[in-house]
Amino acid sequence: MAAGGAGSNKTYSFKVVLLGEGCVGKTSLVLRYCENKFNDKHITTLQASFLTKKLNIAGKRVNLAIWDTAGQERFHALGPIYYRDSNGAVLVYDITDEDSFQKVKNWVKELRKMLGNEICLCIVGNKIDLDKDRHVSVDEAERYAESVGAKHYHTSAKLNKGIEELFLDLCKRMMENAQADERLKGNGSSQSASSWRGVQIVDDDPQATPAGGCCSSG
Amino acid sequence: MSQRTERRGIHVDQSDLLCKKGCGYYGNTAWQGLCSKCWREEYQRVRQKQIQDDWALAEKLQREEEAAYASSHGVQTQSHGPFSKFEEKKTNEKTRKVTTVKKFFSPSSRTPPKKETQDSKTPSPSISRHASFDTDQVSKDFVEFLKNLQKPGREIHKQCRAFLVNMSSKKDISAEELSECVQDFYQNMVDRLMTHFKGSSESVEQVMDQVEKYIMTRLYKSVFCPETTDDEKKDLATQKRIRALHWVTIQMLCVSMDEEIPEVSENVVKAITDIIEMDSKRVPRDKLACITRCSKHIFSAIKITKNEPASADDFLPALIYIVLKANPPRLQSNIQYITRFCNPSRLMTGEDGYYFTNLCCAAAFIEKLDAQSLNLSPEEFERYMSGQASPRFNSSEGDWTSSGAASESTSINPVLVQLNQNLELLSSLSSRQERLVEAAHSLQADLLSWTESVKKEVNDILEKYPLEIQTCSVSAIDANNVDNENLPPPLTPQVFAG
Ligand SMILES: Nc1nc2c(ncn2[C@@H]2O[C@H](COP(=O)(O)OP(=O)(O)OP(=O)(O)O)[C@@H](O)[C@H]2O)c(=O)[nH]1
Ligand SMILES: [Mg+2]
Ligand SMILES: [Zn+2]
Repeated sequence: MAAGGAGSNKTYSFKVVLLGEGCVGKTSLVLRYCENKFNDKHITTLQASFLTKKLNIAGKRVNLAIWDTAGQERFHALGPIYYRDSNGAVLVYDITDEDSFQKVKNWVKELRKMLGNEICLCIVGNKIDLDKDRHVSVDEAERYAESVGAKHYHTSAKLNKGIEELFLDLCKRMMENAQADERLKGNGSSQSASSWRGVQIVDDDPQATPAGGCCSSG
Repeated sequence: MSQRTERRGIHVDQSDLLCKKGCGYYGNTAWQGLCSKCWREEYQRVRQKQIQDDWALAEKLQREEEAAYASSHGVQTQSHGPFSKFEEKKTNEKTRKVTTVKKFFSPSSRTPPKKETQDSKTPSPSISRHASFDTDQVSKDFVEFLKNLQKPGREIHKQCRAFLVNMSSKKDISAEELSECVQDFYQNMVDRLMTHFKGSSESVEQVMDQVEKYIMTRLYKSVFCPETTDDEKKDLATQKRIRALHWVTIQMLCVSMDEEIPEVSENVVKAITDIIEMDSKRVPRDKLACITRCSKHIFSAIKITKNEPASADDFLPALIYIVLKANPPRLQSNIQYITRFCNPSRLMTGEDGYYFTNLCCAAAFIEKLDAQSLNLSPEEFERYMSGQASPRFNSSEGDWTSSGAASESTSINPVLVQLNQNLELLSSLSSRQERLVEAAHSLQADLLSWTESVKKEVNDILEKYPLEIQTCSVSAIDANNVDNENLPPPLTPQVFAG
């Protein structure tokens, strides 16, 4: 029992933030994933900004909390308040919208700068059902993702494609991170709260920051 | 006009404000709706009772504990209960720094029964108590709850009390250090419970909720908005800031709530009430619950308006709007308090944590809010901020074009029409004011001349008929009996024949 302690029947709790420009389909993705709904006007869901999903991966229980974030530009500066203590980030762009992919790149820079490598990044090209209007090349997107240590996924919230895989994959990666963390800490049954306290908003514009080490390090 | 509609919704009945005892004075929510006098009386009574009950309970627990030891071990073997066993193992492998509270988790922290608890009901001064109504109930509930856990429950109770004693001796440390202590305590408790309950995280959560409630109810007074911080200054700044932003409209924030719909405005009112109520709670989790309730009402309002579930893009602006309308008391202090003293597992992944984070975002947004955040030009923003203009007139165009009062200028911008009307009104007001002032002056002059004339009249009369004070020649009959001789002899009775 000594070694097991918190290990065998521990429930993992992960926080995942959804980031991306307005209208790329963040809300649609999470609603599809957690409630299997798309553009359904008669839905009983009250809100789609905080959703949870319970998973069982390799005999381990996982509680996934998915935090939708306000995507409008005027809320950009609030990003750090949202993503502090996240275990993972899902960065969504619309494959028919080149600008939205550019935004994802900015988010990656900011997240790496603020949180380092502790956070699992997923870059998601959504709306693949609209492939005929594609404006972001698959090749470019995948190469970029690899260069920043992120995984790339293709999804369609409309056709329910690629979404299960995306979140399952992400959970597995976060579990690996958590287990590695536990080994480091010896017996860390839960994260320290100290990192939570005292986080301040950073004023600097991520677009203005020069492309730093994160991109060249790949 | 529009100002009134904007404010519609927060109705406070006069009767809500009066003292609940019905003494006729105003009550105060901080005093549970009583006036200061009734509160003092009630408080004394309850406090006295609480002190007694509390010590009776402590005594009982102590007795139970001893009885348990006596029956389970003939001889006292210094190490009892699952916690202590665990402790031995734990201390060997412990690597994290837990300096602040570590010593309370060692068996040596078990203190012998206090003398005074046996022979008197005088409370020990060692636990500085910030007693009030609920403290009593909270302690009782806590003990009740722990009873079901049996032995571990007693252990938990002991740790908590020891922790409180220790905290009461820490007077001059910073808020961050206080937070550190409490968080370390939570952490230790969770670690112990995890091992003891063998991984049932639900029950650990449950216990931790109770522990938080018990501890923070008692610490609240000394650690909420402490003097060592500038929390209070920030509160005032935020309050002033929100007041200065009174002109921000729901349209500027792009909020998808239509307050014309009665159900929506009902939810808006409830959301405002909830966020205001947060300040009256003492346990971080209860404060969080207020934020969550507020958020749920916002979601309902959005859902009714848009007929689809609210996304973060709907929610955050709406929350900002609610905060601006509510101007919640001590917003910054409350945010700081929750951040410092809430059980971290709630803040980091739970639903409450999400809403709390959004509240932090709203507060930050309001603090940094500028022309750009409202899609205004810097000039417009400045004019609204300085009070030179108000955006509200834009929304009432219809009234002015149809009013007909300025018929020849209806083709002009209705705002200008309104402006002219206001100017006219102002100038007529100022001429009336002038007339009033004139009249007042003449009245004043009249009054002065009147007193003068009265004075003069009186003097004239006095001159005409000078008052001659004659020496008094009459004296009382029996004053001194000086002139007794001059008096006629007393009457003698006469007989009338009839
Ligand atoms: N064809 C297609 N349309 C999609 C897909 N996912 C989302 N959409 C549409 O894209 C629009 C925006 O979707 P949302 O989910 O609201 O986007 P969002 O990223 O949450 O936007 P914000 O909340 O404004 O940040 C909606 O009209 C969706 O119906 C998809 O996979 N395929
Ligand atoms: Mg959305
Ligand atoms: Zn009274």
